[in-house]
Amino acid sequence: MSALETISSFVEGAPPGELADVIADIKALTVADPGLVSQLGPAFEKYNEEQFSTVRLPGSTQPIIVSSHSSLGNGRYYDVESSTSFEYDHATQKASGAQSYVLEGAQADLTKSTLKSLSPYVKEHFPNAAYGVYPIENDSKVAIIVVANKYSPNNFWNGRWRSLYIFDPSSGALEGSLKVDVHYYEDGNVRLLTSKSVTTSISSGTGAGIVKEMGNAERKYQEELNRGFTSLSEGAFKALRRQLPVTRQKIEWDKVASYRVGQDIGGGSSRR
Amino acid sequence: MASADPFDSALDLLRRLNPKHTTKHLQSLISLAPDLTEDLLSSVDQPLSVRRCKQTGRDYLLCDYNRDGDSYRSPWSNEFDPPLGSGGAGSEGGGGATPSEKVRRMEVKANEAFDVYRELYYEGGVSSVYFWNLDDGFAGVVLLKKGLTYDVPEAKPGSASEGSWDSIHVFEAIDRARMTQYNLTSTVILSLSTNSSGLGEMDLSGNMTRQIEQELPAESDEQQIANIGKLVEDMELKMRNLLQEVYFGKAKDVVGDLRSVGSLSEAGRDREAQRELIGSMRR
Repeated sequence: MSALETISSFVEGAPPGELADVIADIKALTVADPGLVSQLGPAFEKYNEEQFSTVRLPGSTQPIIVSSHSSLGNGRYYDVESSTSFEYDHATQKASGAQSYVLEGAQADLTKSTLKSLSPYVKEHFPNAAYGVYPIENDSKVAIIVVANKYSPNNFWNGRWRSLYIFDPSSGALEGSLKVDVHYYEDGNVRLLTSKSVTTSISSGTGAGIVKEMGNAERKYQEELNRGFTSLSEGAFKALRRQLPVTRQKIEWDKVASYRVGQDIGGGSSRR
Repeated sequence: MASADPFDSALDLLRRLNPKHTTKHLQSLISLAPDLTEDLLSSVDQPLSVRRCKQTGRDYLLCDYNRDGDSYRSPWSNEFDPPLGSGGAGSEGGGGATPSEKVRRMEVKANEAFDVYRELYYEGGVSSVYFWNLDDGFAGVVLLKKGLTYDVPEAKPGSASEGSWDSIHVFEAIDRARMTQYNLTSTVILSLSTNSSGLGEMDLSGNMTRQIEQELPAESDEQQIANIGKLVEDMELKMRNLLQEVYFGKAKDVVGDLRSVGSLSEAGRDREAQRELIGSMRR
Protein backbone atom coordinates (compact mmCIF):
# COMPACT_ATOMS: atom_id res chain seq x y z
CA MET A 1 0.00 0.00 0.00
CA SER A 2 1.39 3.41 -0.90
CA ALA A 3 1.51 6.17 1.70
CA LEU A 4 -1.35 7.95 -0.10
CA GLU A 5 -3.47 4.79 -0.09
CA THR A 6 -2.74 4.36 3.61
CA ILE A 7 -3.80 7.87 4.63
CA SER A 8 -6.80 7.66 2.25
CA SER A 9 -7.93 4.53 4.11
CA PHE A 10 -7.63 6.45 7.39
CA VAL A 11 -9.93 9.16 5.97
CA GLU A 12 -12.40 6.52 4.82
CA GLY A 13 -12.41 4.99 8.31
CA ALA A 14 -12.99 8.26 10.20
CA PRO A 15 -15.82 7.83 12.74
CA PRO A 16 -18.90 10.11 12.61
CA GLY A 17 -17.98 13.72 13.38
CA GLU A 18 -14.25 12.96 13.74
CA LEU A 19 -12.93 13.63 10.23
CA ALA A 20 -11.11 16.81 11.36
CA ASP A 21 -9.37 14.90 14.18
CA VAL A 22 -8.29 12.16 11.79
CA ILE A 23 -6.94 14.74 9.33
CA ALA A 24 -4.98 16.47 12.12
CA ASP A 25 -3.42 13.11 13.05
CA ILE A 26 -2.56 12.37 9.42
CA LYS A 27 -0.90 15.80 9.09
CA ALA A 28 1.24 15.19 12.19
CA LEU A 29 2.30 11.80 10.84
CA THR A 30 3.23 13.14 7.41
CA VAL A 31 5.06 16.38 8.31
CA ALA A 32 8.07 15.09 6.39
CA ASP A 33 5.98 14.92 3.22
CA PRO A 34 3.44 17.77 3.34
CA GLY A 35 2.53 17.19 -0.30
CA LEU A 36 0.73 13.96 0.66
CA VAL A 37 -2.19 15.58 2.45
CA SER A 38 -2.86 17.85 -0.52
CA GLN A 39 -3.53 14.72 -2.59
CA LEU A 40 -6.39 13.59 -0.34
CA GLY A 41 -9.06 15.31 -2.47
CA PRO A 42 -10.52 12.06 -3.90
CA ALA A 43 -10.55 10.47 -0.42
CA PHE A 44 -12.46 13.47 1.02
CA GLU A 45 -14.94 13.34 -1.86
CA LYS A 46 -15.53 9.62 -1.30
CA TYR A 47 -15.94 10.14 2.45
CA ASN A 48 -18.41 13.01 2.07
CA GLU A 49 -20.52 11.28 -0.60
CA GLU A 50 -20.61 7.90 1.20
CA GLN A 51 -21.24 9.34 4.67
CA PHE A 52 -23.90 11.78 3.37
CA SER A 53 -22.06 14.74 4.85
CA THR A 54 -24.35 17.69 5.52
CA VAL A 55 -23.71 21.33 4.83
CA ARG A 56 -25.55 24.55 5.57
CA LEU A 57 -25.82 27.01 2.72
CA PRO A 58 -24.87 30.61 3.58
CA GLY A 59 -27.93 32.26 5.13
CA SER A 60 -29.81 29.00 5.65
CA THR A 61 -30.32 26.83 8.74
CA GLN A 62 -31.49 23.71 6.93
CA PRO A 63 -28.75 21.03 6.57
CA ILE A 64 -28.34 19.74 3.01
CA ILE A 65 -26.93 16.34 2.05
CA VAL A 66 -23.87 15.79 -0.13
CA SER A 67 -24.07 12.48 -2.00
CA SER A 68 -23.31 10.96 -5.37
CA HIS A 69 -27.08 11.02 -6.00
CA SER A 70 -27.26 14.80 -5.68
CA SER A 71 -24.05 15.49 -7.60
CA LEU A 72 -24.12 17.68 -10.71
CA GLY A 73 -20.45 17.05 -11.41
CA ASN A 74 -17.51 19.46 -11.08
CA GLY A 75 -17.94 19.68 -7.32
CA ARG A 76 -21.52 21.01 -7.55
CA TYR A 77 -24.49 19.46 -5.75
CA TYR A 78 -28.18 20.33 -5.58
CA ASP A 79 -31.07 20.24 -3.18
CA VAL A 80 -34.67 19.87 -4.29
CA GLU A 81 -36.47 21.30 -1.28
CA SER A 82 -34.63 24.63 -1.42
CA SER A 83 -34.31 24.56 -5.27
CA THR A 84 -30.62 25.36 -4.93
CA SER A 85 -27.37 24.14 -6.37
CA PHE A 86 -24.01 24.92 -4.77
CA GLU A 87 -20.32 24.32 -4.96
CA TYR A 88 -18.91 22.05 -2.24
CA ASP A 89 -15.33 22.05 -0.98
CA HIS A 90 -14.68 18.43 0.07
CA ALA A 91 -11.60 19.34 2.11
CA THR A 92 -13.17 22.12 4.20
CA GLN A 93 -16.76 20.75 4.00
CA LYS A 94 -18.05 24.25 3.12
CA ALA A 95 -20.58 25.31 0.48
CA SER A 96 -20.40 28.37 -1.75
CA GLY A 97 -21.71 29.74 -5.02
CA ALA A 98 -25.38 28.96 -4.38
CA GLN A 99 -27.64 29.27 -7.41
CA SER A 100 -31.28 28.61 -8.14
CA TYR A 101 -31.88 25.07 -9.35
CA VAL A 102 -35.27 24.07 -10.71
CA LEU A 103 -36.01 20.36 -10.88
CA GLU A 104 -37.61 19.19 -14.11
CA GLY A 105 -38.18 15.86 -15.82
CA ALA A 106 -40.26 12.69 -15.56
CA GLN A 107 -39.66 12.08 -11.83
CA ALA A 108 -40.00 15.70 -10.67
CA ASP A 109 -43.55 15.24 -9.34
CA LEU A 110 -42.77 11.95 -7.55
CA THR A 111 -39.62 13.49 -6.10
CA LYS A 112 -41.53 16.46 -4.70
CA SER A 113 -44.43 14.40 -3.35
CA THR A 114 -41.97 12.01 -1.64
CA LEU A 115 -40.20 14.99 -0.06
CA LYS A 116 -43.52 16.31 1.19
CA SER A 117 -44.27 13.03 3.01
CA LEU A 118 -40.69 12.54 4.11
CA SER A 119 -40.41 15.83 5.99
CA PRO A 120 -42.99 15.06 8.73
CA TYR A 121 -41.78 11.43 9.02
CA VAL A 122 -38.19 12.53 9.62
CA LYS A 123 -39.31 15.13 12.17
CA GLU A 124 -41.30 12.48 14.06
CA HIS A 125 -38.43 10.01 14.41
CA PHE A 126 -35.07 11.77 14.01
CA PRO A 127 -34.25 14.60 16.44
CA ASN A 128 -31.39 15.80 14.25
CA ALA A 129 -31.48 14.69 10.63
CA ALA A 130 -31.15 15.84 7.04
CA TYR A 131 -33.01 14.28 4.14
CA GLY A 132 -33.24 14.51 0.40
CA VAL A 133 -34.94 12.97 -2.65
CA TYR A 134 -33.30 12.97 -6.08
CA PRO A 135 -34.15 11.56 -9.53
CA ILE A 136 -31.30 9.28 -10.63
CA GLU A 137 -30.16 7.03 -13.50
CA ASN A 138 -31.38 9.25 -16.35
CA ASP A 139 -34.59 10.11 -14.57
CA SER A 140 -35.64 6.44 -14.36
CA LYS A 141 -35.47 6.01 -10.56
CA VAL A 142 -35.61 8.05 -7.38
CA ALA A 143 -33.07 8.02 -4.52
CA ILE A 144 -34.20 8.84 -0.98
CA ILE A 145 -31.64 9.63 1.72
CA VAL A 146 -31.93 10.26 5.45
CA VAL A 147 -28.88 10.93 7.60
CA ALA A 148 -29.01 11.57 11.36
CA ASN A 149 -25.96 12.63 13.38
CA LYS A 150 -25.45 13.08 17.05
CA TYR A 151 -22.03 14.25 18.19
CA SER A 152 -21.03 14.45 21.83
CA PRO A 153 -17.23 14.72 21.79
CA ASN A 154 -17.18 16.11 25.34
CA ASN A 155 -18.61 12.79 26.44
CA PHE A 156 -16.40 10.86 24.02
CA TRP A 157 -19.12 9.48 21.77
CA ASN A 158 -20.54 10.19 18.32
CA GLY A 159 -23.14 8.46 16.19
CA ARG A 160 -24.65 8.36 12.71
CA TRP A 161 -27.69 6.71 11.13
CA ARG A 162 -27.87 6.47 7.35
CA SER A 163 -30.83 5.36 5.23
CA LEU A 164 -30.60 5.11 1.45
CA TYR A 165 -33.48 3.86 -0.70
CA ILE A 166 -33.75 3.49 -4.45
CA PHE A 167 -37.30 3.41 -5.81
CA ASP A 168 -37.97 2.07 -9.31
CA PRO A 169 -41.33 3.47 -10.52
CA SER A 170 -41.50 1.01 -13.43
CA SER A 171 -41.50 -2.07 -11.15
CA GLY A 172 -42.59 -0.53 -7.84
CA ALA A 173 -39.50 -2.02 -6.15
CA LEU A 174 -38.01 -0.21 -3.17
CA GLU A 175 -34.49 -1.28 -2.19
CA GLY A 176 -32.78 0.21 0.80
CA SER A 177 -29.78 0.00 3.02
CA LEU A 178 -29.77 1.06 6.68
CA LYS A 179 -26.52 1.70 8.48
CA VAL A 180 -25.64 2.68 12.03
CA ASP A 181 -22.19 3.79 13.18
CA VAL A 182 -21.54 4.60 16.84
CA HIS A 183 -18.14 5.42 18.32
CA TYR A 184 -17.33 5.54 22.05
CA TYR A 185 -13.77 6.46 22.98
CA GLU A 186 -13.31 7.29 26.65
CA ASP A 187 -10.18 5.38 27.81
CA GLY A 188 -10.73 3.02 24.94
CA ASN A 189 -12.20 2.63 21.49
CA VAL A 190 -15.55 0.92 21.01
CA ARG A 191 -17.40 0.87 17.72
CA LEU A 192 -20.85 -0.30 16.71
CA LEU A 193 -21.21 -0.86 12.97
CA THR A 194 -24.39 -2.27 11.50
CA SER A 195 -25.73 -2.78 8.02
CA LYS A 196 -29.09 -4.05 6.86
CA SER A 197 -30.57 -4.27 3.38
CA VAL A 198 -34.28 -3.82 2.76
CA THR A 199 -36.24 -5.06 -0.26
CA THR A 200 -39.92 -4.32 -0.60
CA SER A 201 -42.40 -3.03 -3.13
CA ILE A 202 -44.77 -0.07 -3.23
CA SER A 203 -48.03 -0.98 -4.94
CA SER A 204 -49.36 2.60 -4.92
CA GLY A 205 -46.18 4.01 -6.40
CA THR A 206 -46.81 7.28 -4.54
CA GLY A 207 -44.51 9.36 -2.36
CA ALA A 208 -46.76 8.76 0.64
CA GLY A 209 -46.61 5.00 -0.04
CA ILE A 210 -42.81 5.05 -0.21
CA VAL A 211 -42.42 6.95 3.06
CA LYS A 212 -44.94 4.70 4.83
CA GLU A 213 -42.94 1.62 3.79
CA MET A 214 -39.68 3.31 4.87
CA GLY A 215 -41.21 3.94 8.29
CA ASN A 216 -42.25 0.29 8.62
CA ALA A 217 -38.83 -0.99 7.57
CA GLU A 218 -36.97 1.36 9.91
CA ARG A 219 -39.19 0.66 12.91
CA LYS A 220 -38.81 -3.09 12.37
CA TYR A 221 -35.06 -2.69 11.95
CA GLN A 222 -34.63 -0.66 15.10
CA GLU A 223 -36.58 -3.26 17.07
CA GLU A 224 -34.36 -6.00 15.61
CA LEU A 225 -31.29 -3.99 16.52
CA ASN A 226 -32.48 -3.60 20.13
CA ARG A 227 -33.03 -7.37 20.24
CA GLY A 228 -29.53 -7.79 18.77
CA PHE A 229 -28.03 -5.92 21.75
CA THR A 230 -29.91 -8.20 24.14
CA SER A 231 -28.95 -11.34 22.28
CA LEU A 232 -25.24 -10.42 22.21
CA SER A 233 -25.32 -9.45 25.89
CA GLU A 234 -27.17 -12.59 27.01
CA GLY A 235 -25.43 -14.88 24.52
CA ALA A 236 -21.89 -14.34 23.31
CA PHE A 237 -20.88 -11.90 26.07
CA LYS A 238 -21.97 -14.21 28.90
CA ALA A 239 -20.49 -17.24 27.18
CA LEU A 240 -17.08 -15.58 26.88
CA ARG A 241 -16.56 -14.73 30.54
CA ARG A 242 -18.70 -15.36 33.60
CA GLN A 243 -19.33 -12.52 35.99
CA LEU A 244 -18.50 -14.87 38.88
CA PRO A 245 -17.53 -18.56 39.04
CA VAL A 246 -20.33 -21.16 39.31
CA THR A 247 -19.92 -21.01 43.09
CA ARG A 248 -20.93 -17.31 42.88
CA GLN A 249 -17.92 -16.47 45.00
CA LYS A 250 -14.63 -14.84 44.22
CA ILE A 251 -11.54 -17.00 44.29
CA GLU A 252 -9.82 -17.62 47.61
CA TRP A 253 -6.34 -16.93 46.34
CA ASP A 254 -4.49 -18.16 49.41
CA LYS A 255 -6.11 -21.56 48.79
CA VAL A 256 -5.81 -21.53 45.02
CA ALA A 257 -3.26 -24.36 44.97
CA SER A 258 -5.85 -26.69 46.48
CA TYR A 259 -8.38 -25.77 43.75
CA ARG A 260 -6.41 -27.91 41.32
CA VAL A 261 -7.56 -31.11 42.97
CA GLY A 262 -11.19 -30.14 42.67
CA GLN A 263 -10.80 -28.67 39.24
CA ASP A 264 -12.90 -31.40 37.66
CA ILE A 265 -15.91 -29.53 39.05
CA GLY A 266 -15.18 -26.85 36.52
CA GLY A 267 -15.20 -29.36 33.65
CA GLY A 268 -11.51 -30.05 33.00
CA SER A 269 -8.81 -27.80 31.71
CA SER A 270 -8.52 -28.81 28.08
CA ARG A 271 -12.05 -27.78 27.09
CA ARG A 272 -12.12 -24.76 24.85
CA MET B 1 -0.87 22.51 17.23
CA ALA B 2 1.47 22.82 14.27
CA SER B 3 3.92 20.36 15.76
CA ALA B 4 1.82 17.64 17.35
CA ASP B 5 3.92 14.67 18.43
CA PRO B 6 3.70 11.94 15.76
CA PHE B 7 3.55 9.17 18.40
CA ASP B 8 0.62 10.83 20.19
CA SER B 9 -1.06 11.36 16.83
CA ALA B 10 -0.61 7.68 15.95
CA LEU B 11 -2.19 6.66 19.27
CA ASP B 12 -5.01 9.16 18.75
CA LEU B 13 -5.67 7.70 15.31
CA LEU B 14 -5.79 4.17 16.75
CA ARG B 15 -8.34 5.40 19.28
CA ARG B 16 -10.56 6.58 16.40
CA LEU B 17 -10.25 4.01 13.62
CA ASN B 18 -12.31 0.79 13.73
CA PRO B 19 -10.92 -1.15 16.75
CA LYS B 20 -11.77 -4.44 15.07
CA HIS B 21 -8.84 -3.84 12.71
CA THR B 22 -6.24 -2.44 15.13
CA THR B 23 -3.57 -4.87 13.90
CA LYS B 24 -4.05 -3.75 10.30
CA HIS B 25 -4.01 -0.06 11.26
CA LEU B 26 -0.88 -0.63 13.30
CA GLN B 27 0.88 -2.13 10.28
CA SER B 28 -0.24 0.86 8.17
CA LEU B 29 1.10 3.32 10.74
CA ILE B 30 4.42 1.51 10.93
CA SER B 31 4.79 1.63 7.16
CA LEU B 32 3.93 5.34 7.24
CA ALA B 33 6.22 6.20 10.16
CA PRO B 34 8.87 3.45 10.61
CA ASP B 35 10.55 5.49 13.39
CA LEU B 36 7.57 4.72 15.62
CA THR B 37 7.73 0.92 15.18
CA GLU B 38 9.19 -0.02 18.59
CA ASP B 39 7.13 2.52 20.55
CA LEU B 40 3.91 1.48 18.87
CA LEU B 41 4.47 -2.27 19.18
CA SER B 42 5.25 -1.94 22.88
CA SER B 43 2.29 0.29 23.73
CA VAL B 44 -0.58 -0.87 21.52
CA ASP B 45 -2.47 -3.98 22.62
CA GLN B 46 -3.52 -6.36 19.89
CA PRO B 47 -5.55 -9.58 20.01
CA LEU B 48 -3.30 -12.38 21.26
CA SER B 49 -2.05 -15.30 19.17
CA VAL B 50 -2.07 -18.88 20.42
CA ARG B 51 0.76 -21.40 20.00
CA ARG B 52 1.09 -25.00 21.16
CA CYS B 53 4.05 -25.80 23.41
CA LYS B 54 6.12 -28.52 21.73
CA GLN B 55 7.39 -29.89 25.07
CA THR B 56 4.09 -30.09 26.97
CA GLY B 57 1.43 -30.01 24.24
CA ARG B 58 -0.35 -27.15 26.05
CA ASP B 59 -1.46 -23.94 24.37
CA TYR B 60 0.10 -20.62 25.37
CA LEU B 61 -0.29 -16.99 24.36
CA LEU B 62 2.17 -14.81 22.47
CA CYS B 63 2.96 -11.20 23.26
CA ASP B 64 5.88 -8.80 23.25
CA TYR B 65 6.86 -9.93 26.78
CA ASN B 66 7.65 -13.56 25.94
CA ARG B 67 9.24 -12.75 22.60
CA ASP B 68 12.95 -12.87 21.85
CA GLY B 69 13.66 -12.04 18.23
CA ASP B 70 11.31 -14.33 16.29
CA SER B 71 11.00 -16.86 19.11
CA TYR B 72 8.44 -17.10 21.90
CA ARG B 73 8.90 -18.64 25.34
CA SER B 74 6.32 -21.17 26.57
CA PRO B 75 5.28 -20.60 30.20
CA TRP B 76 4.74 -24.35 30.60
CA SER B 77 8.23 -25.51 29.54
CA ASN B 78 10.25 -22.27 29.82
CA GLU B 79 11.63 -23.14 26.33
CA PHE B 80 11.75 -20.84 23.31
CA ASP B 81 10.14 -21.84 20.02
CA PRO B 82 11.88 -21.88 17.63
CA PRO B 83 14.87 -22.59 19.93
CA LEU B 84 17.29 -19.68 20.28
CA GLY B 85 20.71 -20.09 18.72
CA SER B 86 23.72 -19.62 20.97
CA GLY B 87 23.87 -15.98 22.02
CA GLY B 88 20.52 -15.23 20.38
CA ALA B 89 19.69 -11.69 19.38
CA GLY B 90 18.69 -9.36 22.17
CA SER B 91 19.03 -12.02 24.85
CA GLU B 92 20.22 -11.17 28.33
CA GLY B 93 21.87 -14.31 29.62
CA GLY B 94 22.63 -16.18 26.44
CA GLY B 95 19.59 -18.45 27.00
CA GLY B 96 17.09 -15.83 25.89
CA ALA B 97 15.14 -13.35 28.03
CA THR B 98 14.10 -15.63 30.88
CA PRO B 99 13.44 -14.58 34.48
CA SER B 100 15.81 -15.44 37.34
CA GLU B 101 15.30 -18.80 39.08
CA LYS B 102 13.40 -17.26 41.97
CA VAL B 103 11.09 -15.27 39.70
CA ARG B 104 10.62 -18.27 37.39
CA ARG B 105 9.47 -20.33 40.41
CA MET B 106 6.82 -17.67 41.09
CA GLU B 107 5.94 -17.61 37.40
CA VAL B 108 5.27 -21.37 37.46
CA LYS B 109 2.95 -20.96 40.46
CA ALA B 110 1.23 -17.97 38.89
CA ASN B 111 0.57 -19.95 35.71
CA GLU B 112 -1.01 -22.73 37.78
CA ALA B 113 -3.12 -20.25 39.73
CA PHE B 114 -4.35 -18.38 36.63
CA ASP B 115 -5.09 -21.68 34.91
CA VAL B 116 -7.59 -22.29 37.72
CA TYR B 117 -8.88 -18.72 37.39
CA ARG B 118 -9.31 -19.21 33.62
CA GLU B 119 -11.31 -22.37 34.10
CA LEU B 120 -13.57 -20.85 36.77
CA TYR B 121 -14.34 -17.61 34.88
CA TYR B 122 -13.90 -18.52 31.21
CA GLU B 123 -14.73 -22.25 31.25
CA GLY B 124 -12.33 -22.66 28.36
CA GLY B 125 -9.86 -20.44 26.55
CA VAL B 126 -6.12 -20.12 27.11
CA SER B 127 -4.10 -18.36 29.83
CA SER B 128 -0.41 -17.50 30.14
CA VAL B 129 1.58 -15.55 32.72
CA TYR B 130 5.05 -14.15 32.08
CA PHE B 131 7.29 -12.60 34.75
CA TRP B 132 10.54 -10.70 34.43
CA ASN B 133 13.01 -9.21 36.91
CA LEU B 134 13.18 -5.55 37.87
CA ASP B 135 15.97 -3.93 39.87
CA ASP B 136 13.61 -3.25 42.77
CA GLY B 137 11.15 -6.14 42.38
CA PHE B 138 9.58 -7.89 39.45
CA ALA B 139 7.00 -7.34 36.77
CA GLY B 140 4.71 -9.51 34.73
CA VAL B 141 1.82 -9.89 32.35
CA VAL B 142 -1.29 -12.02 32.82
CA LEU B 143 -2.94 -12.98 29.53
CA LEU B 144 -6.33 -14.58 28.98
CA LYS B 145 -8.04 -15.32 25.71
CA LYS B 146 -11.27 -16.95 24.67
CA GLY B 147 -13.03 -17.05 21.34
CA LEU B 148 -16.27 -18.64 20.31
CA THR B 149 -18.82 -19.09 17.60
CA TYR B 150 -22.21 -19.08 19.12
CA ASP B 151 -25.58 -19.99 17.66
CA VAL B 152 -28.30 -17.73 18.98
CA PRO B 153 -30.54 -19.95 21.13
CA GLU B 154 -33.88 -18.44 20.16
CA ALA B 155 -32.39 -18.61 16.70
CA LYS B 156 -34.00 -17.88 13.50
CA PRO B 157 -32.37 -20.07 10.87
CA GLY B 158 -29.06 -18.81 9.62
CA SER B 159 -28.38 -16.52 12.54
CA ALA B 160 -25.05 -16.79 14.30
CA SER B 161 -22.94 -14.83 16.73
CA GLU B 162 -19.20 -14.66 17.17
CA GLY B 163 -17.16 -13.35 20.02
CA SER B 164 -13.63 -13.05 21.30
CA TRP B 165 -12.22 -11.77 24.56
CA ASP B 166 -8.54 -10.90 25.16
CA SER B 167 -7.34 -9.70 28.57
CA ILE B 168 -3.88 -8.17 28.92
CA HIS B 169 -2.86 -7.26 32.49
CA VAL B 170 0.60 -5.74 32.83
CA PHE B 171 1.87 -5.13 36.35
CA GLU B 172 4.92 -4.09 38.34
CA ALA B 173 5.47 -5.37 41.87
CA ILE B 174 7.95 -2.98 43.48
CA ASP B 175 9.59 -3.70 46.86
CA ARG B 176 8.88 -1.10 49.55
CA ALA B 177 9.65 -1.30 53.25
CA ARG B 178 7.29 -4.02 54.58
CA MET B 179 4.95 -3.57 51.59
CA THR B 180 4.87 -4.19 47.85
CA GLN B 181 3.62 -1.51 45.50
CA TYR B 182 1.55 -2.92 42.61
CA ASN B 183 0.93 -0.88 39.46
CA LEU B 184 -1.56 -2.60 37.16
CA THR B 185 -2.60 -1.59 33.65
CA SER B 186 -5.36 -3.72 32.18
CA THR B 187 -6.75 -3.84 28.67
CA VAL B 188 -9.66 -5.94 27.50
CA ILE B 189 -10.23 -6.38 23.78
CA LEU B 190 -13.78 -7.55 23.19
CA SER B 191 -15.21 -8.28 19.77
CA LEU B 192 -18.82 -9.38 19.20
CA SER B 193 -20.77 -9.82 16.02
CA THR B 194 -24.06 -11.31 15.00
CA ASN B 195 -26.04 -11.61 11.81
CA SER B 196 -29.44 -12.84 10.74
CA SER B 197 -31.87 -12.11 7.94
CA GLY B 198 -33.94 -9.70 10.05
CA LEU B 199 -31.01 -7.92 11.66
CA GLY B 200 -28.46 -7.94 8.85
CA GLU B 201 -24.90 -7.46 10.10
CA MET B 202 -24.16 -6.12 13.56
CA ASP B 203 -20.61 -5.71 14.86
CA LEU B 204 -19.74 -4.42 18.31
CA SER B 205 -15.97 -4.36 18.84
CA GLY B 206 -13.46 -2.47 20.88
CA ASN B 207 -11.00 -2.22 23.69
CA MET B 208 -10.87 -0.46 27.03
CA THR B 209 -7.94 0.22 29.35
CA ARG B 210 -7.88 0.96 33.07
CA GLN B 211 -5.10 1.41 35.64
CA ILE B 212 -4.79 1.04 39.39
CA GLU B 213 -2.03 1.31 41.99
CA GLN B 214 -2.11 -0.41 45.33
CA GLU B 215 0.24 -1.20 48.22
CA LEU B 216 -0.16 -4.59 49.87
CA PRO B 217 1.91 -6.68 52.27
CA ALA B 218 3.66 -9.60 50.58
CA GLU B 219 5.89 -11.72 52.75
CA SER B 220 6.02 -14.86 50.63
CA ASP B 221 5.84 -15.90 46.98
CA GLU B 222 2.39 -17.33 47.66
CA GLN B 223 1.23 -14.00 48.99
CA GLN B 224 2.65 -12.19 45.95
CA ILE B 225 0.61 -14.42 43.65
CA ALA B 226 -2.48 -14.08 45.83
CA ASN B 227 -2.14 -10.26 45.69
CA ILE B 228 -1.73 -10.26 41.91
CA GLY B 229 -4.62 -12.70 41.58
CA LYS B 230 -6.95 -10.51 43.63
CA LEU B 231 -5.94 -7.35 41.77
CA VAL B 232 -6.54 -8.98 38.38
CA GLU B 233 -9.79 -10.60 39.50
CA ASP B 234 -11.18 -7.31 40.85
CA MET B 235 -10.04 -5.41 37.77
CA GLU B 236 -11.65 -7.91 35.39
CA LEU B 237 -14.92 -7.79 37.30
CA LYS B 238 -14.87 -4.00 37.13
CA MET B 239 -14.01 -4.02 33.43
CA ARG B 240 -16.59 -6.65 32.56
CA ASN B 241 -19.26 -4.43 34.16
CA LEU B 242 -17.88 -1.40 32.34
CA LEU B 243 -17.86 -3.22 28.98
CA GLN B 244 -21.42 -4.36 29.59
CA GLU B 245 -22.45 -0.78 30.28
CA VAL B 246 -20.72 0.66 27.21
CA TYR B 247 -21.46 -2.11 24.69
CA PHE B 248 -25.07 -2.81 25.59
CA GLY B 249 -26.13 0.34 27.42
CA LYS B 250 -24.33 3.35 25.95
CA ALA B 251 -24.17 2.13 22.33
CA LYS B 252 -27.85 1.23 22.40
CA ASP B 253 -28.76 4.60 23.93
CA VAL B 254 -26.90 6.44 21.16
CA VAL B 255 -28.90 4.51 18.53
CA GLY B 256 -32.03 5.64 20.39
CA ASP B 257 -30.76 9.22 20.34
CA LEU B 258 -30.25 9.04 16.57
CA ARG B 259 -33.68 7.59 15.83
CA SER B 260 -36.66 7.39 18.12
CA VAL B 261 -38.85 4.27 17.78
CA GLY B 262 -41.81 6.22 19.11
CA SER B 263 -43.13 9.52 17.84
CA LEU B 264 -41.10 12.52 18.95
CA SER B 265 -44.04 14.90 19.05
CA GLU B 266 -45.99 12.51 21.30
CA ALA B 267 -42.95 12.11 23.53
CA GLY B 268 -42.69 15.92 23.65
CA ARG B 269 -46.38 16.26 24.59
CA ASP B 270 -45.97 13.59 27.29
CA ARG B 271 -42.99 15.44 28.74
CA GLU B 272 -44.93 18.70 28.67
CA ALA B 273 -47.92 17.07 30.40
CA GLN B 274 -45.64 15.59 33.03
CA ARG B 275 -43.99 18.95 33.63
CA GLU B 276 -47.39 20.57 34.11
CA LEU B 277 -48.44 17.80 36.46
CA ILE B 278 -45.32 18.18 38.57
CA GLY B 279 -45.76 21.95 38.48
CA SER B 280 -49.36 21.72 39.69
CA MET B 281 -48.36 19.34 42.51
CA ARG B 282 -45.77 21.79 43.73
CA ARG B 283 -48.19 24.63 43.91
